[in-house]
Amino acid sequence: MTREPSILLVDDEDGLRSTLAANLELEGFRVFEARDAATALAWLEDNDCDLVLSDVRMPGTSGVELFLRLRKSNREVPVVLMTAFSTENQVATAIHHGVFAVLPKPFDVEAAVHTLRRAIAGPSVLVVDDDQTSADAAASALEAAGLSVRVAYGAEQALELAKTTTVDVVVTDVRMPDVDGLELARRVRAHDPDVAVMVFSGYDVPELLSRAASEGAFACFRKPFPVEHLLDRIARARAQAKA
Amino acid sequence: MNERTGVDSSLEGRANELFETRSRESAAKVDRLFVFIMLGTWLLAVLCALVISPYTWEGKVRSTHTHVYAAIFLGGAISSLPVYLGLRRPGDVMTRLVICIGQVLWSALLIHLTGGRIETHFHVFGSLGLIAFYRDVRCLIAATVVVAADHFLRGIFWPESVYGIAQPEWWRFLEHAGWVVFIDVFLALNILRSRNELREMCFAQLQVKEIAERVGRIEKLAAVGQLAASVGHELRNPLATIRNAHRYLRKRISGSEPVVPDAKMLEFFDIMEREMNASSRIISDLLDFSRPKEPVRAPCPIPALVDEVIGVVPSRGNVRLVNAVPRTLPVPDVDKDQLRQVLVNLVQNASEAIPETRTGEVTVRAKASERGGIAIEVVDDGEGIPESVAAKVFEPLFSTKTKGTGLGLAIVRDVIERHGGRIDLRTSPGVGSTFTLTIPVSPGVSI
Repeated sequence: MTREPSILLVDDEDGLRSTLAANLELEGFRVFEARDAATALAWLEDNDCDLVLSDVRMPGTSGVELFLRLRKSNREVPVVLMTAFSTENQVATAIHHGVFAVLPKPFDVEAAVHTLRRAIAGPSVLVVDDDQTSADAAASALEAAGLSVRVAYGAEQALELAKTTTVDVVVTDVRMPDVDGLELARRVRAHDPDVAVMVFSGYDVPELLSRAASEGAFACFRKPFPVEHLLDRIARARAQAKA
Repeated sequence: MNERTGVDSSLEGRANELFETRSRESAAKVDRLFVFIMLGTWLLAVLCALVISPYTWEGKVRSTHTHVYAAIFLGGAISSLPVYLGLRRPGDVMTRLVICIGQVLWSALLIHLTGGRIETHFHVFGSLGLIAFYRDVRCLIAATVVVAADHFLRGIFWPESVYGIAQPEWWRFLEHAGWVVFIDVFLALNILRSRNELREMCFAQLQVKEIAERVGRIEKLAAVGQLAASVGHELRNPLATIRNAHRYLRKRISGSEPVVPDAKMLEFFDIMEREMNASSRIISDLLDFSRPKEPVRAPCPIPALVDEVIGVVPSRGNVRLVNAVPRTLPVPDVDKDQLRQVLVNLVQNASEAIPETRTGEVTVRAKASERGGIAIEVVDDGEGIPESVAAKVFEPLFSTKTKGTGLGLAIVRDVIERHGGRIDLRTSPGVGSTFTLTIPVSPGVSI
């Protein structure tokens, strides 16, 4: 990496924006500031950046609309939102359309930097299930939401992908024939402890889920589950500091 | 449920109290009315005696007729005690009994003075009607007994003074008593009905008052909540700005050369950070309370969650935190973040309930409860909670701590109720407290 990663920071609060920009520069980012979505869009016409970090509530165009417009115009730049309002429907919309993460204000700059670096790296979600149809279905649902996804039909293949590609979230079935989900999670995290693991199971196995949780699984699902829940958890995991 | 019956029975108790007070007040009013009636009757009797038969002739000597003396002295004797009690002890049961007896004694005297005229007997019925004003069946009974005794005894020894003739039929007494009992029955029925009505009115009045108070409280809370929400939101941005500025300055100063100009600066940076964190927590509490979130449910294994919670709660050297949740516990569908917050709150409270001067233990245990739920218990062997406090711990804005918003347990209860569960507290002073969360495993199940 020869140049510093660049961030377009969009927030209408001048004080907040400038102090956050100063901190991000301190952390080694190049920061461009915009005080509203229109300015940001105009700037993006002629310029490029590695990440857009935007407030949600702003006069005029909101951060969520900014994100949706970027997606519509096929700008693949990752977007991270920040909001002081935890219960906004808008935020849910953004998550279901694949925004990388939503940072709750006020946030720790250290934790935020972790999330921003992740977002810039452009990681994928790895879906693992020995049932191929089920794996493909989950993967295409996540892809449709705009996430980058990889699929594996077994633990060996999954481990291989986790080692060779940038994966930050693994969503795995608990029960698999050769190596089960727990063992897979253990091996993936041995390789990269920052990976968030989520497990799901077809039927209720309290001990297995309990063990998964105690070994640090970020979330557990019971099939069938709505893809929105998964998207929600993924965005949340990505917004969080290291486990 | 227990709580509700508790409130109800106390409402009933207070309604009874109010009913007693009202009854006494109304009896006291009737007492005053009778004071006037007694004095008026006496005056009237004396006047009548003077006008109708002021003098009598005994041979050639004119003298004041005994009727006049009877009116003055007997009437005075009958009226004086009731009047005295009516003025000095209005509302007492004894007062109204004495007054009622006095009133029918007046009937007896008037009947005697008029030589047993049938028309004067009507005074008895009028008196019973007046006595019914007391809405006390005992008064009717006392009056009736006196009337009956008077008729019976005078019927035997002095029949013309009560029946107007010297040789009445033997059953005359029964006929009179029969009519008195006849009217008594209807008066008594009326009294019972009006007492019931008064009792119901008292109950309804208290209920209305209680509801009005509750509505007032809820409105106040809603107003506080709205204010809290807007203040919380407005404070978030400035706080974030201060936090960012603080972090930048701190980084620059600690990295600067020569080393920090003043040792106090770093210390103050720490203090600022601590206080900003405290402010953030208060804001979060306010927002959680005023804008409760619907739970986002997913299977959440409890044993691991409790491990997490125990890791987050600030440790105190004298308190041991124990996770005794079995791994085989059914996995409930809950909002993990919300339940974590609930447990952190409860475990932290429990830990703080143990005095610094001794060691103690906080245990989190759980079991499957009947009807498809789980029960999680947070148990401490701390000081316990006094009864007066225990009744209020879940009320918002109630706190015994000097620091804090008093919203912690209100939020806890709200979260649990949104999960379709409930929270109970058992506590005994000096022994410790147990908070029990009962949560359905899946949202559809009711417990």
